[in-house]
Amino acid sequence: MEFEWDAEYADFRRELRAFIQDRRTPELLAEYAATYGSGGPLIGAFHRELDERGWMRMCWPVENGGEGRNLLYQYIFVEEMEYYGMPYGNLTYTSIAPSIVAFGSDAQKAEWLPGIYRGEYCFAIGYSEPNAGTDLASLRTRAELDGDEYVINGQKIWTSLADVSTHIWLAVRTDPDARKHAGVSIIVVPTDTPGVTIRPLYTMYGGHTCETFYDDVRVPAANVVGGVNQGWGIVMHALNHERVGLAAVGALARLYDQLVAHLRDRRPEKLEDPVARRRLAELELDIREHRALALRNAWIISRGGTPIAEASMAKISGTELRTRIANVSMDLLGREGGLSVDSGAAAPYEGRAEFNFRLSPIFRFGGGTNEVQRDIVAAAGLGLARG
Amino acid sequence: MDLELTETQLLLQEAVRSYLEREVPYDRIREQEKAGTSDAVLWKGIVDQGWLGLLFSEENGGAGGSLVDVGLVVEEIARRAAIVPILEVAAVGHVLERCGEDVSDLLAAIQAGEAVPVPAVWEGAGSEGAPSVAVRDGVLRGEKHFVDYGQSATHHVVAALDGLYVVDARTPEVTTTPLRSIGRTPLCHVRYEGVPARRVAGLEASALLVRLGRSLSAVQIVGGLQQALDMTVEYVKVRKQFGVAIGSFQAVRHHAANMAIRVASTRLLAYETLDAIDRGVASDAQAALAKASASRAAPEVTMLAHQLHGGNGVIEENDLYFYTLRAKEQSLAWGSFDECMAVVAGQVHVEPDWF
Repeated sequence: MEFEWDAEYADFRRELRAFIQDRRTPELLAEYAATYGSGGPLIGAFHRELDERGWMRMCWPVENGGEGRNLLYQYIFVEEMEYYGMPYGNLTYTSIAPSIVAFGSDAQKAEWLPGIYRGEYCFAIGYSEPNAGTDLASLRTRAELDGDEYVINGQKIWTSLADVSTHIWLAVRTDPDARKHAGVSIIVVPTDTPGVTIRPLYTMYGGHTCETFYDDVRVPAANVVGGVNQGWGIVMHALNHERVGLAAVGALARLYDQLVAHLRDRRPEKLEDPVARRRLAELELDIREHRALALRNAWIISRGGTPIAEASMAKISGTELRTRIANVSMDLLGREGGLSVDSGAAAPYEGRAEFNFRLSPIFRFGGGTNEVQRDIVAAAGLGLARG
Repeated sequence: MDLELTETQLLLQEAVRSYLEREVPYDRIREQEKAGTSDAVLWKGIVDQGWLGLLFSEENGGAGGSLVDVGLVVEEIARRAAIVPILEVAAVGHVLERCGEDVSDLLAAIQAGEAVPVPAVWEGAGSEGAPSVAVRDGVLRGEKHFVDYGQSATHHVVAALDGLYVVDARTPEVTTTPLRSIGRTPLCHVRYEGVPARRVAGLEASALLVRLGRSLSAVQIVGGLQQALDMTVEYVKVRKQFGVAIGSFQAVRHHAANMAIRVASTRLLAYETLDAIDRGVASDAQAALAKASASRAAPEVTMLAHQLHGGNGVIEENDLYFYTLRAKEQSLAWGSFDECMAVVAGQVHVEPDWF
């Protein structure tokens, strides 16, 4: 057991951090905030710069345009990007791209991966339906083969970013007679395909997610990823990757540091208050506990393992901590903690505490509810059979 | 970076675990709890197995283990709830080895089982405050509170005003008064009335002793909590209600998952801190934070264990109480959750080095 980073990783983190600090302009951050990660000219340019350095795909296999680097590089990359609040492709990059790498055909990789690492493609994720949430395998959106095309009919919900995406990574039922997990496929639907209707659902955190409707949407059969009726395993694979992102510790550390910096600069009396200091210390303890779990999860993946209970533990600890940080931050700040960015200079650190309180609930239930995650810990980690 | 145990460490862990399962019957532990004694038979076994050698470099006759190796031994002994001063001897042994003075006679005696030195650090009701015990003209006077295994130790390593001193605890100038505490392990108050004292290190070593004590205490807690978790998982697999194993009920599964999360994160922080001490980069705040993590986990995990064991968990024929009581005692030793959080809170204005 050794906890020190090898020099090559420490060097990479230093190099990346210096790069980020140089490119982190108010204009880029404003575009990121305004587009909720969907992209824009500055974000596109930033992605291209990242890609020129090889960082967008350094952990992909060499034959897919990557460098085949250890996944700990990716972990460091996400940690730093999240800490500094920089756009890095989000779920398209952290969840979809690794799934295309793992399950896609050569033609699919050639078609989609360059667009992703150049920041030109954004994939929305279409898993949930109005009646298929936690019980995802009961999804009913139907895809029927007609010649060399699939005809898709149905409805998805929480298809976030669909309105600004180029593609939808869609889970569909291709065999209605199979057991429910066995009849699911993943098919990639370009969002400009006729019959796709996208309707925004405005959220309390300011952005919006989407409902998407599919009426006789015709997509080439070649867009099925990883084989017909093989979709469930791909969804699980992609969700595992999504959970690593959801558990990222960078954003949480940043929220803590912004809070402390604000108190130090504007409310120094608070930092003299032993009760406030204790509240901060407990957040620090929680962040370090969570970071240990998140790093362990990434480390297992980097060694070729498949963390199951470990991934769920990190997802639980990170997402519940996010709600706690937002809440404690606002309580410590008092009335000003409730000020939103629209209050201008009066809002502490651009209203991030207020914003995160509104944002934080989605992480706990998104990507698999924490209740299901606890069940996974019990089953996979502790060997407790389900009833 | 390697977040898993090495092959050698797995072998060590397995060797210690199987030895303890074979050699330390729980009934013997129950008798020792009642008598207020420590397990001299096991201590001789620990000496014979050579585990104390992990503490010392080869030039001092040891095997040159890492602190993680030492932690594994401490964790396994806690997992068996055995009553021996392993944490105490490990903490002072490591500090003595690194103190810079020639204490090779003492290190040899420890490994031979002839010397059993324990730390005597605290004076107040808790872990706060600097020592007031002083040495003048080579003799030490004063009192120490909460000296674990102080009554059966051969030597005390006393934290004094200006550093660490070793005194022979078997001399008439040292009076120990036993205390009975929730952990049911030997504990005492000590009066030193002019006992000859040998200076072994300065204040930096006293601080190292506390950092190491906190980290090893965290590892010790992890050992007990892991055992409580394992016992609970086994129990909910076999205990049936409504015709099914209670481990199939979601409320029960969630309690078990929460226990597992606490143990996992605490374990990583504890070993990370031991590794950092070995590399000479651990701060007081890091050790306090690792101990705070363990001290918080201790009652949470054991109380959930009891919740899932129901009445069966509280009868003394069941082994669960060992872990509940030891873990709470250990959560208070070397700084309670609140005392350790106060150390962390003292540093919150400093920008943390997260990654």
